[in-house]
Amino acid sequence: MTAPSLAAARPRASLARRLVRRIGGWEALVGIVILAVLLTLAALAPLVAPHDPEAIDSARILARPDLGHPFGSDALGRDVLTRVLFAYRVSLSVALGSVALAFAVGAPIGLVAGFRGGWVDGLLMRPIDLLLALPALLLAVALIAIVGPGALVALVAIAVIYLPIIARVVRSAVLVVKAQPYVDGARARGASEPSIMLRHVLPNSLGPALVQATVLMGFAIQIEAALSFLGLGAQPPTASLGIMLNEGRDVLTLAPWVEIFPGLALAITVLGFNLVGDGLRRRLDPRGMAR
Amino acid sequence: MTTSSIQPASGRAAEDADEVLVLDRVGVEFRVEDDRISAVTDVSLRIVQGEIFGLVGESGCGKSTLALAIMGLLPSTATVTGRIAFQGRDLIGLGEKEFRALRGDRMSMVFQDPLTSLDPTYGIGDQVAETIRAHRDVGRPAARERALELLREVGISAAEQRYDEPPHRFSGGMRQRVVVATALANEPTLLIADEPTTALDVTIQAQIIELIRALRLRHRTTVVLITHDLGVIAQVCDRVGVMYAGQLVEIAPVAQIFAAPRHPYTQALIAALPTSGQARGSLRVIEGQVPELSAPPAGCRFSPRCPVRREECDRVPPLAIAAPGHAIACWNDPATRAMAETTGMASEVTE
Repeated sequence: MTAPSLAAARPRASLARRLVRRIGGWEALVGIVILAVLLTLAALAPLVAPHDPEAIDSARILARPDLGHPFGSDALGRDVLTRVLFAYRVSLSVALGSVALAFAVGAPIGLVAGFRGGWVDGLLMRPIDLLLALPALLLAVALIAIVGPGALVALVAIAVIYLPIIARVVRSAVLVVKAQPYVDGARARGASEPSIMLRHVLPNSLGPALVQATVLMGFAIQIEAALSFLGLGAQPPTASLGIMLNEGRDVLTLAPWVEIFPGLALAITVLGFNLVGDGLRRRLDPRGMAR
Repeated sequence: MTTSSIQPASGRAAEDADEVLVLDRVGVEFRVEDDRISAVTDVSLRIVQGEIFGLVGESGCGKSTLALAIMGLLPSTATVTGRIAFQGRDLIGLGEKEFRALRGDRMSMVFQDPLTSLDPTYGIGDQVAETIRAHRDVGRPAARERALELLREVGISAAEQRYDEPPHRFSGGMRQRVVVATALANEPTLLIADEPTTALDVTIQAQIIELIRALRLRHRTTVVLITHDLGVIAQVCDRVGVMYAGQLVEIAPVAQIFAAPRHPYTQALIAALPTSGQARGSLRVIEGQVPELSAPPAGCRFSPRCPVRREECDRVPPLAIAAPGHAIACWNDPATRAMAETTGMASEVTE
């Protein structure tokens, strides 16, 4: 924040400008707008979608985009726009759910491992390292092979991939934070170890993990799409970006819109998450805050 | 006023009520891989209620280590030997829970760097209130009231409005005031201030020193002020302990340290103070270097740099009372030699 005297000397930044700075820059604002629009559309898909996602119309097989069907129709005559909107519901829930699950399990592991150190650290982190050593997609495929395909299984599989990443990011932040003088200060004021860990170390260690989580969210959508593309995620006739991309591949030369629109949708979502992630990183950096 | 003593516990009964802190042959050793580093050896001193005791010495001489040993905040790689008694209670070997009850309540500490001593995620007021609630069974509103009172007392203007503001909105000096407020939250008996002004500029330094002095008067708080700045010592302290390479070499009332230093190291320190009449470029220095603490010289650790070194110096000189309130550990001093004879320490070679 600027000191009052300085602010008076300089023309005061407009409300919008200050709001943008608070959010973390114009890029982050764009990201937030993209995500807000997508999330609203996904949440309201049954209300805003022009058609039924599973309604087959033999008269409109691979029909070109027109006013009633801006994204065209697929090989079964289903409206692509409607299916993209419904696919978002699956993709975003799987992405959100998987990152939330990975965070809920990984963050406490990283926190305790980093804060306690020593044998506790070894005990908690070695299995995590083991998970990290396995190729991510292979791990997910193996898990699904055991349990069977489905959106929920894909969610858990992605969470398992992300868990070690979150745990390690939190742990490394904790290692830095626990050496800060204010942690010693809290100790010198008589705070107990659990309260130091939860009240002082945890809040100061979450920043990097939150940024990481936002970026991972974008990738989660890609992984979910990849899994359902391979038939390992949500199952037809449920609309999912991966399934749509797979179906569109077959008719790519005849009706490119069946492939292009789900692809664009995927790219825009990932972009949104990355922009927000960058903004968050700037916003959560304590030095950035002091500007 | 009591002075230092190396006598064991038996000799202290009479002054018990007045003595806040008694250190008796305190040593601190760090294990670093296979090495042992003795950061503090044989430090004995007594600090009485209401005094400001200065602990001075160059960087790495063990001042801060000693402070952390008193607070029980040393890492597990450190071993503390000897006896540390706080208000008659032995602190070495005290359980973590009992120690925690003392910290922030009966004894508290101000650290060197105010910019990093406060948690950036909480408002300044909450950090004061947290200290109160860690030790007193009071509700949030009551703790807030008391915290506000403390913030006003240490000179935070508009405390009410600024209570919830995070530390980064405050200047270094203001943050150090907040740190002092947290340290005083429960009216401690003992306040250890470890280089509280080192990170601040000179005018702010003077304000913080003035604040500590005023608070001592108001609350009869005993203060141990650690610094490498003899100017700060001269401004506030009643007595001074001079440390060199982990040993306490001299203790004296502040006036005597400047007027009549007896230990060669203290003399060299005082002589090295620049004076206004001094010609440019003629700063005096002490020849040689501080010894490695992993392999310290046997006996008096200052002896390799000492201009008046003698044969006895490879034995540890005992700290002996040379004049009222003035103790010294140097073989050149008759008091130390007399002390060694009476206690039979002359034959004892350490390390």
